Amino acid sequence: MELDPSVYISRNLPFELYEVDILNASDEQLAVISDEMGLALSVDEMRRIKEYFRQKGRNPTDIELQALGQAWSEHCCYKSSKYFLKKYLFGIEAPQNIFVIEEDAGVVEFDEEHAYVVALESHNHPSAIEPYGGAATGIGGILRDVVCMGAQPVALVDPLFFGHLDTPYEALPSGVKHPLYLMNGVVAGIRDYGNRVGIPTVAGMIFFDEGYTGNCLVNVGCVGIAKKNHLIRSRVGGVGDVFVLVGGKTGRDGIHGVTFASTELDEKSEEESRGAVQLGNPIVKEPLIHACLEANEKGLLTGMKDLGGGGLSCVIGEMALAGGFGAEVHLERVPLKEKEIKPWEIWVSESQERMMLSVRPENVDEVLYIFDKWDVDATVIGKVIDEKILRVFYQGYKIYEMDIEFVTSGPEYCRPYTVEKREIQTSVFDVPEPEDYEDIFRSILAHPNVASKEFAIRQYDHEVRASTVLKPLNGIAGWESHGDAAVIKPLEDSWKGLAITSDVNPAYTKIDPFWGTAVAFDEMCRNLVAVNSVPHSFADCLNFGNPEKPLRLGDFHESVRALGWMARNLGIPCVSGNVSFYNETPYSFVPPTPTLMGVGMVEDVRKVISMDLKRRGTALILINETRPEFGGSVYSSVRGFEDSNVPKSSPEHLRKSIETMLSLFSNFRILSCHDVAEGGVAVALGEMCIGGHMGCEVEIRAERADIALFSESATRWIVEVKEEDYTDVVEFLRKSGLKAGVLGFTGGKDMILRGAKTTKPLIYMNIDEVDTTWRNGLSRYMG
Amino acid sequence: MRWIQLGEMDCRGIWGDDMEREDIRVAVVRIEGTNCERETALAFKRLEVFAEEVHLKQFYSDMIRDEDKRSLHDYHAVVFPGGFSAGDYIRAGAIFSARVRSVLRKDLKKFIGEGWPVLGICNGFQVLVELGALPAFDGISEKPEMALGINDSSRFECRPTFLKVENQKILFTRNLGKNVVMFPSAHAEGKVIFPSGREEEYIERLKENNQIVFRYVDRNGDYAGYPWNPNGSIYNIAGICNPEGNVLGLMPHPERAFHPVSHPEWTRNQQKDGDGKGFFEGIVSYLEKKV
Repeated sequence: MELDPSVYISRNLPFELYEVDILNASDEQLAVISDEMGLALSVDEMRRIKEYFRQKGRNPTDIELQALGQAWSEHCCYKSSKYFLKKYLFGIEAPQNIFVIEEDAGVVEFDEEHAYVVALESHNHPSAIEPYGGAATGIGGILRDVVCMGAQPVALVDPLFFGHLDTPYEALPSGVKHPLYLMNGVVAGIRDYGNRVGIPTVAGMIFFDEGYTGNCLVNVGCVGIAKKNHLIRSRVGGVGDVFVLVGGKTGRDGIHGVTFASTELDEKSEEESRGAVQLGNPIVKEPLIHACLEANEKGLLTGMKDLGGGGLSCVIGEMALAGGFGAEVHLERVPLKEKEIKPWEIWVSESQERMMLSVRPENVDEVLYIFDKWDVDATVIGKVIDEKILRVFYQGYKIYEMDIEFVTSGPEYCRPYTVEKREIQTSVFDVPEPEDYEDIFRSILAHPNVASKEFAIRQYDHEVRASTVLKPLNGIAGWESHGDAAVIKPLEDSWKGLAITSDVNPAYTKIDPFWGTAVAFDEMCRNLVAVNSVPHSFADCLNFGNPEKPLRLGDFHESVRALGWMARNLGIPCVSGNVSFYNETPYSFVPPTPTLMGVGMVEDVRKVISMDLKRRGTALILINETRPEFGGSVYSSVRGFEDSNVPKSSPEHLRKSIETMLSLFSNFRILSCHDVAEGGVAVALGEMCIGGHMGCEVEIRAERADIALFSESATRWIVEVKEEDYTDVVEFLRKSGLKAGVLGFTGGKDMILRGAKTTKPLIYMNIDEVDTTWRNGLSRYMG
Repeated sequence: MRWIQLGEMDCRGIWGDDMEREDIRVAVVRIEGTNCERETALAFKRLEVFAEEVHLKQFYSDMIRDEDKRSLHDYHAVVFPGGFSAGDYIRAGAIFSARVRSVLRKDLKKFIGEGWPVLGICNGFQVLVELGALPAFDGISEKPEMALGINDSSRFECRPTFLKVENQKILFTRNLGKNVVMFPSAHAEGKVIFPSGREEEYIERLKENNQIVFRYVDRNGDYAGYPWNPNGSIYNIAGICNPEGNVLGLMPHPERAFHPVSHPEWTRNQQKDGDGKGFFEGIVSYLEKKV
């Protein structure tokens, strides 16, 4: 910090502490102070602080100002997004809701005795600077969010977004790391943390777009399970409760993580913000989880919360206030990684693997024994007091005293926004039918957004805990293909399961944030339904650019509006979420990326349906209508045309389709089911053939076979049924009001797709070739 | 059955008549970073035996309260589960085995010598190798005689693996009832390596003693390379036992193949039981019948 002696007045104490003279500071000086101290607060916000201290009749200390910088950051108080989230997305009532939105994770009913817990977050900025550590600590953070509700994590999910892998090095802006380097680092970080901590990574996605070159996105989700009577909240129980800090030691890593996440990245970010990236340690986390859950299950805790963004500064204030009380903390008790660390740094450090417990005094010894048994540090650092005031002491000196309500009363803005219509004049009808369908199909199969993600999936342990019933890869061992959703059996004594998927197609949202988001929701439901689960709840991670720019906020507005519209009409509650703004650099901004993680309820895991073809001579039925919707499609990218007509969804039709599909599954033997998404019917069929290592023969009667094969219209599935059932199945679907038709039949070792106009098939490929083309699509970049 | 107290810390009893299942006690030993202990203990509990996850500290540490203290001799079988014990930041299993060596060496030697089953799965296999408890040609060795090296692919591999049961006579394999089983693998360091230049000699010796228990095959049951052999293990070795057959280490995870719905192809071909069930039943029925 650049110290101007007239503004920063050193207190005469045995340690470093400054008083910051804001009472006499002009607006200009306030801006300089915010900048120099790395607070990322606006002049208006600084003025509010000045006014507060004027009333107190004194200047703030450095630690007080730092605490406000954390608490009022975008990351902690959602100041730019809350208005829109409240207006559109929050408050979807559903009988399964237990605690939604207000806690670190959403809590939803699983069965009479159990609840499942859902959390989804971004770890974008740290991962752009240090992909391995950023991704790893992202997992660490999301696990703590689930554990602090009293739940055992049972599954991890990781949707990732990068620039194109073939981006030339010379095309990278200064300070930007190559997408291939970022992807390998992120995958390795997830692997080394997730595998060590012993929670299976069961779902995710990897998406490529040039918009992510300067600012990759690393989202991470977690699902946990808890007995309802073990659920615990992030609030203290009452006056006299003791704060016990457990887990890792506190150091200088992760200082200003939240303020770093609340500004744009630029070429200096690496140098300036490296220290904002935390260091993870899964081998502290693994016993920490056991110890926290053991102490909680024994009824020894009144509250539990994880230390994430803002560190101690956020956790103490939020836990105390949520309980309706205040707190006193003795900072010198915090176990440290290094000496010479200043009090304010201890207060805001985001060092990993830490949790805060509130405990009745009589239970403290028992809690300390449990943590000692697990060799995890546990230290009493403060207590709950009656007044709603937060006081911090260091070596006996009071260095911080503020009203908790003031600290946590971050601003809320309705910033100006502009909704932009991106009009594109061309459409699929401006390009002729391809001459060589096979050639196009090969390019689509090998397209990085379609091709096999096996290289990543197999590096993640997706089976630890031995409860992964439907794995991320489905089919004959050695020929597996991408499944629609993973299914976990979280309880030993129940066949009930949870289906988990993560979805968004930024190629659509980039053109049309409203419809793109609606279709992400549609796809999430489609994937959950495809494995025979009932869509039950979801979490969102909304990754956007700088909200202070009206166009970016306009995208955000449209996206949240669409999400609320779909979710509300389908009665599927948004139970938890995260907003990540400022995903932009001076060169580019990310496509609007509303990542969704959907959870489906599986009544009996033995009735789950996978997507690989099962038998020869069975019928393939396409459900619902294919329209010429090519905006953001892989076909348009491969053929090089633009189309503004992205796929659309209708909540009423989606609801009817979900109900019909689920009743189809209970009335007929459905051998396999796959949702139709990127690359359309052709890719869906290809993936089904790959997983079953079996061919099929399909006839396309449409005027334009390319539309029928490659359109990415939403709300569609392909099902495989026994030959003797297919007329009944089609009739059942039509009677329910859905369109359905037989595409063809399975068998042989070739994928044969015939058109109406020529006798020669449009596509005639051996399934091994289909398999190799799809499987090598990404690995060719990996070297 | 007769229940004879051997000493203050020994509540195991001794072999008398057949044991009742609920009297069989299994320890799954954990430290920080082991992460398959829950499902491994569950595999035994599903067979109605008593199984518990025991922290290594419970065997020796002064800070442990009396009710939590344990002795190895309280148990009839000991399992070292999968995971990343202590992070495995140096050679896999090295830290865990060093701790076991320092506090349990004598007890474990006695335990093995008495014929009780000792099982190491994945990281547990690495631990047994580091301890010298495998291959143990001439009893437990002072130094490791083999190693489990980094996979040929240089990365973690999570995939179904098919194993040919080469020795169907030991207690662990007697109840499998099949020549080829599917236990999934998930590891980064699983490649069996013998001292350079002595590979043939080691393989011959293992074969002579019937110590090779599982070898990787493809799904048709034929010996095959990557990915069927996920790590490049010499002679496709997936699991070996000591000459006596009561200590087994294997890289693949039988506890992840207990239920029929754990099989990667269960939606295609339904089995009555997962292959892992027979594996754990072998241990339990051995303990039931051993007189």
